[in-house]
Amino acid sequence: MSNRIEALGSAALSLVRAGVELWRVYVSTIAGVMRGFSRRKDRRGHGGRARQSRAQSELVRQLHAIGNKSIVFIVITLGALGMVMTYQACLQLGRVTGDYSQVGSQLLRLIISDFGPTLTAMMLATRVGAGIAAEIGSMKVTEQIDALRMSGVLPIDYLIVPRFIACLVMMLMLAVLGSAVMYAAGGLTAKYSFGVNPNTFFDLSFIRPRHLVLFVVKCLAYGAAIPIVAGFCGLRARGSSEGVGWATTAAVIGSSFAVIVLDFILSASALWLTGGDL
Amino acid sequence: MTEPAIRISEVHKAYGSRRVLDGISLDLARGTKLGLIGPAASGKSVLCKLVCGLEQPDRGEIEVFGERIVGKREVDLGPLRRRIGMLFQNYALFDFLTVEQNVAFPLEQGAAGTLSAETIAERVAARLRAVGLAGSEAKLTAELSGGMKKRVGIARATVADAELVIYDEPSAGLDPVTTQKIYDLLSADQARTGATVLAISSDVAALAGFVDEIAFLYDHRVVYRGPAATIADAPNALVRQFVRGDLEGPLDQAGPGMASLDRSIK
Ligand SMILES: Nc1ncnc2c1ncn2[C@@H]1O[C@H](COP(=O)(O)OP(=O)(O)OP(=O)(O)O)[C@@H](O)[C@H]1O
Ligand SMILES: [Mg+2]
Repeated sequence: MSNRIEALGSAALSLVRAGVELWRVYVSTIAGVMRGFSRRKDRRGHGGRARQSRAQSELVRQLHAIGNKSIVFIVITLGALGMVMTYQACLQLGRVTGDYSQVGSQLLRLIISDFGPTLTAMMLATRVGAGIAAEIGSMKVTEQIDALRMSGVLPIDYLIVPRFIACLVMMLMLAVLGSAVMYAAGGLTAKYSFGVNPNTFFDLSFIRPRHLVLFVVKCLAYGAAIPIVAGFCGLRARGSSEGVGWATTAAVIGSSFAVIVLDFILSASALWLTGGDL
Repeated sequence: MTEPAIRISEVHKAYGSRRVLDGISLDLARGTKLGLIGPAASGKSVLCKLVCGLEQPDRGEIEVFGERIVGKREVDLGPLRRRIGMLFQNYALFDFLTVEQNVAFPLEQGAAGTLSAETIAERVAARLRAVGLAGSEAKLTAELSGGMKKRVGIARATVADAELVIYDEPSAGLDPVTTQKIYDLLSADQARTGATVLAISSDVAALAGFVDEIAFLYDHRVVYRGPAATIADAPNALVRQFVRGDLEGPLDQAGPGMASLDRSIK
């Protein structure tokens, strides 16, 4: 009995420790972003050019790896989901009222205030989160992280900051793209399966500024959470390839979970802030 | 400038329940070369990492160039680490960079990034020529043999003219001729820069030709330290046994030699 309590206690303790460490990674990443900006200001024109051009090309590489390479994946998954959702909605409505005039406008509201960013983030969490954790984790177990530290480089600045910035930017872009594709796919489904007039379906009049604010806020929150959780898992990899596998799995689970929790928190806060008038 | 390059006092380090170092103390004067030998898994590599602040000791004090490094924050260790060159036992080369970029890395990141691109390119080329890797600049590290990786690691550790250089097994896995070449290179480098050197090797004979003194790590402590030239006739029986056992043949470094050592202790 006391053994079990002890085990529970030590599990709780290591969970708290991991939480603290995750928080530290987050704070250091933000600090690293700040340092990057101030460095850029000081160094204009002389010295440190090699380092800075390396940092810039790394950012470009990450933007490409995280953003461009996810486009097809996001378009296909969100497009399919848009079709299925519209089909199901029309099917149910057809049984009840047969009035499809609201389907398009309500779908758009739902996409902008929730499904667009959240589904994009879920997809990104699996694809990008796994990639980041595997890359950083294998560097950890082969001591490349230690080699970085020996050159006076902060691993968080060098490895996580560019991925963080790239993920923030690309999350927003991909969410816009994914939402557009989802809506368009819904419109096509409604037209060809249920004969809904596109002019009725593509009706933007129900969208209010607060929906767009929620869209952007969610994108930024997810875009920040995914690389930080994944990078944190990568940095915690221990041992050999097994450790990298563990880090990758933990990153996918952790970052998807973070997306869902953030979705809940942000949606609830939005409801509360608007007094339920969302 | 009178303080030693490295001062380790009463350092303890354990991983979980596994004791690795138990009250180890070691001083290393500036400009001298110390060899560190010991059985496999005696904590030699761990000691190197402690000196660089890559790992924190459980107890004890470590000073490098008079600066205490225990408990220091990562950001504050950067300037000190740039004065140290380190060859990792398993190279730890950056696999996303080419050979040339690997060697250039410490120069690009070092000294507040004040070197021009031309200077960096020149110094990298000179270093690669010195280790005999001219012509492999554009290769990725995955395309290299073990010996080539080792030489890239050496080039990376020495390119910034570090004041303290730590070599973890510079000659493991190399043939005798290449081993001798590597040690000649390390000697020439040290003579040029006057750096302090800490070298780990299980090839005691080759190591003894390079360093001034040899310390023997055993049973979680430094049990012997003496001049390198006469290490085979050291007054400590453990050391004699270890060194001579090692010289029996290149293949039984951790095999029969170690077993006889264990028996002699019992
Ligand atoms: N990060 C770590 N986590 C857990 N145990 C470790 C870690 N690093 C080293 N150890 C343990 O510490 C002990 C000493 O390891 P170390 O690598 O220093 O040995 P070594 O003397 O360099 O051996 P070799 O000559 O084989 O390189 C080993 O038993 C190893 O398992
Ligand atoms: Mg070792």
